[in-house]
Amino acid sequence: MGRPKNLYFTVTASIIGLMVAIQFQTVSEPEVRDTRDTWELRNDLMGEKELQSELLREIRTIEDKINKYENEREQSKEQLLKETLEELKVEAGLTEVTGPGIILTLQPIVNELGQEVPISRVSPSLLQRLINELNMYGAVHISVDEQRVINTTVIRDIGTVTKIDGYSLNRLPLQIKVITKNAEEADKLYNRMEISTVVEDFFIDNLRVILEKPQEDIMIPGYQDTIRVRYMEPVETSVGGDG
Amino acid sequence: MWLPFMGLVIGVIIGLLTDIRIPPEYSNYLSIAILAALDTLFGGIRAQLQNIYDEKVFVSGFFFNIVLAASLAFLGVHLGVDLYLAAVFAFGVRLFQNIAVIRRILLTKWTTNGEK
Repeated sequence: MGRPKNLYFTVTASIIGLMVAIQFQTVSEPEVRDTRDTWELRNDLMGEKELQSELLREIRTIEDKINKYENEREQSKEQLLKETLEELKVEAGLTEVTGPGIILTLQPIVNELGQEVPISRVSPSLLQRLINELNMYGAVHISVDEQRVINTTVIRDIGTVTKIDGYSLNRLPLQIKVITKNAEEADKLYNRMEISTVVEDFFIDNLRVILEKPQEDIMIPGYQDTIRVRYMEPVETSVGGDG
Repeated sequence: MWLPFMGLVIGVIIGLLTDIRIPPEYSNYLSIAILAALDTLFGGIRAQLQNIYDEKVFVSGFFFNIVLAASLAFLGVHLGVDLYLAAVFAFGVRLFQNIAVIRRILLTKWTTNGEK
């Protein structure tokens, strides 16, 4: 028997031994015998059940929390959107507004005989100038004869009748309501309108502008029609921020 | 002759000490491989006693038998046929034959030695 033969045998035998040991360990898992009696089993079961219910409760509270968070998130988003929408509506003039402001009344002038001088109509350009002036001096919301004046409002002559957004202004007296930011602004507006030249221009048209003292609560109705946007498009977002 | 047994013992001790475990689904393959290895080992012992021992045959047979047995078992599992039984049968029969031959040779040697 030479040396290498023995070596091979030894190596082979040790490999076999290793395999046997591994197999032995794998197969002969120590079997733990269950020696609990009914009562112990019952107690154990009870314990496990308590654990289970505890876990279930935990799951429920966590799910509740998740629901709450999701709700909050949705609501906050929705709330934000709603608020923005409301703000935009107010800004666009779709809502009824109350606030401090002044009321101007256009009336036909009375001649010496105590009779009203007949007038044909209120000049649209003059009305526009008045509104421009009001806007210049701090008017926020304006209505003419209970018609809300918004950004797209048109005042024009249609068949000898002055119309504001298609609504005829052929009855006098005409009431123009103006709401300003606050009472102070209303005062300022009042003072400015007192010395405004537009009032004199109206006089040429046989109309008298009666300025009422600033009031705390003036109600201006919202714009009734839908606003049709025809010549506006959203701005394309520029790439890279190059304006 | 004691060195191979030492190797066996060392292998077992190493295996027990290292605490290696294979997943239970592979224990089938390992058992077949062990059977093949044992068969080869006893074959080697017998060949040595008959003086026809060739280490190339022994080593190649050792690994080849292990791989063949394991792949047979694998194939059997995948075909749904208990092919590993074939390996078990073949190796078992050969194992018994080898051991019988070894026993006879040893007995002969013993008796001849006794007669001398």
